[in-house]
Amino acid sequence: MIRALKIAGLAINGLRRSPLRVTLTTLGVTFATGALVTMIALALGVQRQVETPFRALSLLNNIQVKPKEPSSTTKPPPLNDEALARLEKLPGVAVAYPDAHVKGIRIRYRNKESTAIGLALPREASLLGVADELLVAGRLFEEGDQPEAILGVQLADSLGFSTPQDAIGAKITVEAAGLMPEGSSEFSFRRKLLTVTIVGIYRAPPLMPGSAQQGIFLPVELMKEIPGMYLEAAINQLKAGGNPTAAGYASVTVRVRDPAYLDEVEKEIRAMGYHTQAILSKLQDMRRFFLAIQLLLTVVGSIALAIAALGIVNTLLMAVLERYQEIGLCKAIGASDGDLFVLFLTEAGIIGFLGGLTGIALGWLMSCGMEAVASFYAHRQGIAGRLDLFAFPIWLMAVSIAFSVIVSVVAGIYPALRAARVDPIRALRSH
Amino acid sequence: MNLPALQTTSSFIETRGLSRQYRVGPAEIQALADVNLHVQQGQFVAVLGVSGSGKSTLLHLLGGLDTPNAGSVWVDNRDLATMSRHQRTIYRRTMVGFIFQSYYLVASLTAAENVALALTFQGVHGAERTRLAAESIDRVGLGRRASHRPNELSGGEQQRVAIARAIVHRPRLLLADEPTGNLDRTTASEVIGLIDEIHRELGTTVVMVSHDEEMATRVADRLLRLRDGRLEPEGGVA
Repeated sequence: MIRALKIAGLAINGLRRSPLRVTLTTLGVTFATGALVTMIALALGVQRQVETPFRALSLLNNIQVKPKEPSSTTKPPPLNDEALARLEKLPGVAVAYPDAHVKGIRIRYRNKESTAIGLALPREASLLGVADELLVAGRLFEEGDQPEAILGVQLADSLGFSTPQDAIGAKITVEAAGLMPEGSSEFSFRRKLLTVTIVGIYRAPPLMPGSAQQGIFLPVELMKEIPGMYLEAAINQLKAGGNPTAAGYASVTVRVRDPAYLDEVEKEIRAMGYHTQAILSKLQDMRRFFLAIQLLLTVVGSIALAIAALGIVNTLLMAVLERYQEIGLCKAIGASDGDLFVLFLTEAGIIGFLGGLTGIALGWLMSCGMEAVASFYAHRQGIAGRLDLFAFPIWLMAVSIAFSVIVSVVAGIYPALRAARVDPIRALRSH
Repeated sequence: MNLPALQTTSSFIETRGLSRQYRVGPAEIQALADVNLHVQQGQFVAVLGVSGSGKSTLLHLLGGLDTPNAGSVWVDNRDLATMSRHQRTIYRRTMVGFIFQSYYLVASLTAAENVALALTFQGVHGAERTRLAAESIDRVGLGRRASHRPNELSGGEQQRVAIARAIVHRPRLLLADEPTGNLDRTTASEVIGLIDEIHRELGTTVVMVSHDEEMATRVADRLLRLRDGRLEPEGGVA
C-alpha cells in the first residue's frame, strides 16, 4: 500500500514536469466528462420533471377506465354512475370518479372575471393523500357537501388575489354553460351558476402547460352538475346509434389502495367490458424511452471521452520518450517492469481523476447556465416556476469519475507497456 | 520472489566462458568473448580498455541488466544467466549499486529525493527511507545540499549524489561505469577517493570500468584489461 502511494507520488512528480501538456490533456478529459455528465444529467432531469406530476398527483395508483367504442352490432356497457358504484366495490379499489376537463368555465370574484378549466377531485382525496404536495395554500376538500373549490395559482392571480393565502375562504361564482343530452337524440343548452368557497390553491408541476395553472377543482358531485360534463360520451353514443342520456362519462379514474392491486383490478374491469390503462404502465413505457435516451447520450459522451483518451495516449507516449533515460535508470536501481507499468498507469489514472472531477464541475456550471436560459424562455412562454431540468445524483458523479478514470487507465495501458518494456541498457546509452 | 538457490563457487564473482554478441543491422558484433573472471569479495577491480572493448557490456552482465549469449555469470553463488527477468530485478534491487558516467539524476527531484528514489523500489518507506537517504547523502559530504536540485549542483556534486544513491541500500557489489569520465582531474580524483573510501569502509566489492589507467591504479586491487571483448592475462597493479 505504502509502495503504491510512493509510486503515486512519483507519478504526480512525473506529471508536474510537463504542466502545460498535462493541463491540456486533462482539459480534454474535463470537456468530455463535462459533456457526458451534462447530457446524462439532462436526460435524468427531464425524466424527473416528467415523472413529478405522476408522483405529485399520486397517479401511480390510478387506472383510467374508458367505455369501449360502440358499433352497430355491439353495445358495450356505459360508464355511468351505476358503473362507478360497481367499480368502487371491487376489492382493492379506494375510489372511482369521473374524469372531467370542461373548458370555458367563467369564474367571478368581485369585479374580476376569468376563464378556467373545470376538473373533478373526489372528497376522499384528502384521505388518500392525492395531490396534497401541489397545494401552496389551504387544504383539500372536506367530507360533506359544502360547495368548495381549489384553484390554480394563475387563476387566483387573475382574480385579483395578491397571494395564494389571500384567496383562502373567499367566495367565488362559477358559471358554466353548455349542452346537456336530453332524450334519445336531443341536447339542450343549460347554464349553471354555483357559489363556492376557495379552500385551496395549487401549483401544477413545472413543464405542464400554462393552462394547468388555470384550473378549478370542484368536488365530484358538484362537477356532475356542470353542463358539458357528459357531452363527449353522449356524442360518441349518438354516433353509434345509442341513447346519449345513457352514455355516462367519457372516462373514469379508478384508484386502488396499493399498486399491488393494479393487475387484479384491471383484469376485473376488463371483464366488465371496459378499456383500462394503468398510469404506472404508461410511466414504465416512458422510463424505457428515457433509458434509451440515456444510453444514446452515454454513447455520444463516451465518444468524446474516447477522443480525450487519445490525448492521454499521446501525452504519456511523449512522457515515455522524454523520460527514456530515467526509465532505464529506474530499472537499473531496482524498478521492475511492473513498477514502471503501474507508474505510467497511475499517471493516466490521475489525469482521468482530475479530468473527471473538473468535468463534473464544468457540467454542473453548464447545466446551471442552460437551466437559467430555459427557465427564462419557459417563463416567457407562460410556464410558471423555475425549471429543474438537470439532475445530479451522487451516483452520476461517482460513476462519471470512475468512468473517466477507467477510460484514462485503459488509454494508459499502451504507453505503460512501452515504459515497462524499455531496455535499460539502450535507455542508459541514449542521449 | 526469491533469488535462485545458492550453489557454491569459490569467488564472489565468477564468469565462465562469458560471451555476448550484438546484431547491428546485418553485422554481428562480438562484445565479449569467452571471458573467465574471478573476483573475491571485498576486492576493488578496475577494468581497463579502449572504447568498444566490451567494458560496459561486462558491467551490464555483472549487474544483471543484460544476459549472455553463452557462458555463465555467478555472483554470490547465484547464476545470473539462468535468472528470470524479475529475479534479475530483485538481484539489482538488493545486491547491486550502479554509478554511471552521466550520473542520471532525475532533474525534478532534489538530491535527497534522488537518493531516496532507489529505496522506493526496494520497498523502504517513511521515516526509515528519509533516514537512510540522509545518512547516505551525509556520507558523500553533501548533507547541506540535500534539498538542491541537480541543476544547482556541480558535476562532482552530482556524481556524489549518484554515489549516495548507489550505496543507500548497502549493496554488496558496486558497479561503476566510467564514474569520472565527465569530471575534471581534481574532481575526478575526489570522486575516485570517495568510492575507495566506501569500498574500504563498507567492504563492498567494486568493479569499476575506466580508461584512465592512472586513476584506476591509484585505488584498485586488480587491473583487468579488455581488448576486442577478450580479457587479457592479468599483470597486476603496476
